[in-house]
Amino acid sequence: RSGGEGGWVLRKRNAASGVGTGEWRHRAARAKLARPRAEPGGGACGLRRLRMSGGGLFLRAAAVARSWRALVAFTASRRPLRTSPRGRAFAKELFLGKIEKKEVFPFPEVSQDELNEINQFVGPVEKFFTEEVDSRKIDRDGKIPNETLEGLKSLGLFGMQVPEEYGGLGLSNTMYARLGEIISLDGSITVMLAAHQAIGLKGIILAGNEKQKAKYLPRLASGEHIAAFCLTEPARSARARPSPPIPTILSSAHICLGSGSDAASISTRATLSEDKQHYILNGSKVWITNGGLANIFTVFAKTKIEDSDGSVKDKITAFIVERDFGGVTNGKPEDKLGIRGSNTCEVHFENTRVPVENVLGEVGGGFKVAMNILNSGRFSMGTAVAGMLKKLIGMTAEHACTRKQFSKKLSEFGLIQEKFALMAQKTYVMESMAYLTAGMLDQPGFPDCSIEAAMVKVFSSEAAWQCVSEALQILGGSGYVKDYPYERMLRDARILLIFEGTNEILRMYIALTGLQHAGRILTARVNELKRGNVTTVMETVGQRLRDTLGRRVDMGLTGTLGAVHPSVGDSANKLEENVYYFGRTVETLLLRFGKTIAEEQMVLKRVANTLINLYGMTAVLSRASRSIRIGLRNHDHEVLLANTFCTEAYYQNLFTLSQLDKYAPENLDEQVKKVSQQVLEKRAYICAHPLDRTS
Amino acid sequence: MTRKFSEQHGGAQRQDRPGLEYAARRVSGCPSSRGMSGVRAILLTRSLSRGWGGICRATLSGTPFSQVPSQILRSLHCSAAARNSDSSLVPHPPEPPRGPAKALAPHEELFRQAPEAVRDKASFLQAVQNFAQHNVHKRGHVDFIYLALRKMREYGVERDLAVYNLLLDIFPKEVFRPRNIFQRMFVHYPRQQECGIAVLEQMENHGVMPNKETEFLLIQIFGRRSYPMLKFVRMKLWFSRFKNINPFPLPRDLPQDPVDLARLGLQHIEPNLSAKVTIYQMPSFKDSTDSSDLAKPHILGIQSPDQQAALARHDPARPIFVEGPFSLWLRDKCIYYHILRADLLPLEERKVEEIPEEWNLYYPMQLDLDYERSRWDDYEFDIDEVEEGPVFAICMAGAHDQATLAKWIQGLQETNPTLAQIPVVFRQGGSIGEVLAPSPGLEEPPLSPPEGQEEEEESDGNRARDESEWSKGQRL
Repeated sequence: RSGGEGGWVLRKRNAASGVGTGEWRHRAARAKLARPRAEPGGGACGLRRLRMSGGGLFLRAAAVARSWRALVAFTASRRPLRTSPRGRAFAKELFLGKIEKKEVFPFPEVSQDELNEINQFVGPVEKFFTEEVDSRKIDRDGKIPNETLEGLKSLGLFGMQVPEEYGGLGLSNTMYARLGEIISLDGSITVMLAAHQAIGLKGIILAGNEKQKAKYLPRLASGEHIAAFCLTEPARSARARPSPPIPTILSSAHICLGSGSDAASISTRATLSEDKQHYILNGSKVWITNGGLANIFTVFAKTKIEDSDGSVKDKITAFIVERDFGGVTNGKPEDKLGIRGSNTCEVHFENTRVPVENVLGEVGGGFKVAMNILNSGRFSMGTAVAGMLKKLIGMTAEHACTRKQFSKKLSEFGLIQEKFALMAQKTYVMESMAYLTAGMLDQPGFPDCSIEAAMVKVFSSEAAWQCVSEALQILGGSGYVKDYPYERMLRDARILLIFEGTNEILRMYIALTGLQHAGRILTARVNELKRGNVTTVMETVGQRLRDTLGRRVDMGLTGTLGAVHPSVGDSANKLEENVYYFGRTVETLLLRFGKTIAEEQMVLKRVANTLINLYGMTAVLSRASRSIRIGLRNHDHEVLLANTFCTEAYYQNLFTLSQLDKYAPENLDEQVKKVSQQVLEKRAYICAHPLDRTS
Repeated sequence: MTRKFSEQHGGAQRQDRPGLEYAARRVSGCPSSRGMSGVRAILLTRSLSRGWGGICRATLSGTPFSQVPSQILRSLHCSAAARNSDSSLVPHPPEPPRGPAKALAPHEELFRQAPEAVRDKASFLQAVQNFAQHNVHKRGHVDFIYLALRKMREYGVERDLAVYNLLLDIFPKEVFRPRNIFQRMFVHYPRQQECGIAVLEQMENHGVMPNKETEFLLIQIFGRRSYPMLKFVRMKLWFSRFKNINPFPLPRDLPQDPVDLARLGLQHIEPNLSAKVTIYQMPSFKDSTDSSDLAKPHILGIQSPDQQAALARHDPARPIFVEGPFSLWLRDKCIYYHILRADLLPLEERKVEEIPEEWNLYYPMQLDLDYERSRWDDYEFDIDEVEEGPVFAICMAGAHDQATLAKWIQGLQETNPTLAQIPVVFRQGGSIGEVLAPSPGLEEPPLSPPEGQEEEEESDGNRARDESEWSKGQRL
């Protein structure tokens, strides 16, 4: 971020042209080299491919123009993995009842040049997706046809975030998010690309050394090689018989992008060979997206590590494994509910010899690598879903405005209108959240936005499922048949709640990470309270007293010099009030539960839900304020959406926060636990049949 | 795990008392050793009325007066008769020394018409019909009904509602209904009402729920405001409440095959639904004619995955024990089981399960905070728990000798390879006969020979046996 008054200039771009031309030549040469490989597809589509590759070259040319920034990114990416937060992250401060205004106001902007550039990208990609991609066929055949793959490759979509010097497009997070909106028009392709670059090759970008990057990234970026991420393993009991994996793993693991959350259960083993030049890799992985297509695998395996004190421990290490190393086999593709075009299968490694230089990051440091990869890619789901929903709103609105019932158009019925309002609102919120997060991530210094990204993922996946379901409701029967794309969208949307970490798991992450932060800061205060320091106790009691008497919270969002526009001022006040009481509640919870709060999952879920709402409110307020101030088209509509969402979320938050009070009558956790306990004890629904009699 | 086991163990012991019959005993007011005071109150009124009845009966029918107080006593106290599964209200046939010759109960001949014929429902119904035919005026019907009630078990119809209704149908209709307020105030036709109650009582003891027809008959015979009707209403109320009170329900008819019975018993002991029953040996007989001569007794075992994992973790240096036989009552059947268990690890050798640092890829499993749950939010009761050692497997076998149990251990080794390294000590209790007999020194001296219902403390008594009684430990 450049200074104070300028606000959000994402990056300075100066004198890029000189470097750019050089890059251009280099690129053209590489493209020429790559050409013959693309040939054997057949003559009939040659012309089209030429046109497309033209588009791809064009894209790349545009990409080259940003090489300066890429250079910065490159140098920065050589830093060790980002683990420590740079500044004060917005979401974490919310746990203390504070709004870190500088992080979120004003809404991140891109410069005009960049905008043009993005639009240049977007055009050809959109054209390709509307004209060349037959989603229905992909879904039916369970396979992405080769010519589509070639098209994607020539558009450069396999290396969107790969730095340019390695032949990728080197897109910023914002641009990546923007392209995601279009790619999401087909679920299978989105998942295939995400598995390739959001997790498959992300490890090399984040943790790889110079040699590894130079060796693997160019061919991965061009799509010559496809990457896969191998983390999840079959459950222990299933290991005796390798296939099929038992489906219980679905609940806790995330299938398609291929990872389970239980690192301790990894049993794939890498042992150092006698000459210390190779690791011998043995084991199987399940639910590997692209498992059948990939040539490069990021594999996590246990290795024996000698600790500093001489004891030998099993630790996880990440490896880059090429299919050519030998001993790599994969099972048949899984037959899935949705995203049927993506390839998901088991991958087995049998005495695969991996050279020691292919260790990703440090030996024994695989856990951190995996965590960073998984945390880095989540925000993009927000824009992907928004893109899909925007298209869906268009299609359903068309239906609602043409179909008549009882001599009235569907669009005149209140219950139908409600559904459109819901879809518009959800889309607006997730879009705002996603681009706000992308903007934060694009700030220099690699800020830690993993909580924000997780919130975007949870909100957008749930909104997607809800909206698609409501859309099907509007469409009635035609939503349910295979002649229309809607049922496919529904099936595809279901996976969003499951992969990249199930929403349940992410809620735990959101709540616990924030509580950890708040807990550390509150430690001193809590200790004093527990010791019974009179001043602190009096202070707290006084504060509570003022709270109950009703206090007016002012965090400076509104007013003459406020961060938000007056037309959303009321909503901003609601946000402030919610944030204040959220902070209070967090403090109370920490006082009550201490570190055992990690076991109170139902409490944590509420904390996470409130936080997601708060973040959504902030995002829409920020975005709507900007829209009004710069006079964007239909900004009054945005204000309307922002205000409705904020009011809804405000009351939801009030309810949730009151549930978190002690002895709250709204809180049914104990009953809920008891019900499930009784059901699970018998492993069945235990009520007698309503027609049963005792006599 | 071990605690669960023992709980379940207790539960299993309790369930030999079928839910309905158990409930029935409470309703009838024949108090078990821990009868409720409310029940007692009901009982008191009723036995008072019975006293009334007895007096009236004595004056009316000339039965010896001395019978009355004994009856009051019997129903007031928890007597042996109350523990009997047969009805306490059915008077026993007069004792032999009373008459000069062996006096037959009246109408006995109706049930002895065809001694060689099979005793089943048809012949019972035949007897009842014969009574109605021979006795147009229904003289002596009360005696006949008492007799029939006593005979029901012999004929195997004690759980047949239709038969009870038929018995009630013997009563002449409309005769015993009170017609004015004075009749209503006092017990009208007490002997007949007593008899009606006895029928209902026996139904209750066998868990037979009266139906509409019973109600209709009772109204016809005794009227709506009569003691049998009161009994009927109470049965209707409490039977429905208590019918499913047993949390460990058993099928009404237990399987006859010992293997099936053992499987049922094992599944009742083991609360874990993942536990698997394995048949290590099917029973086979030396020669097919004599079934008592077992060549190979059946051996069934149950083990849950948790138990298997616990056994795999067990330190091979510490011995494990095969103990038993312990008894388990399933309704009126007693079966015996053995357990494979280990001693509790001494405190200093227990390892604390620590949460590995790199475990969950998504969220921290533990928070790094130095304050605990506040005392105001700690709802855990402070309970002193007696810890027991782990139980690794349970077995039921047709024989309780060491050779049979060794076969079980051998079978277990297939699924638990570590068992081969662990020394197994057989600690056998005495003979089965010893287990069967009520062991002295229990809290409650048995009032009557155990009739298959009240043996809850049995296994505890067995467990408390002195170590010296165990046969010498032997390594496998």
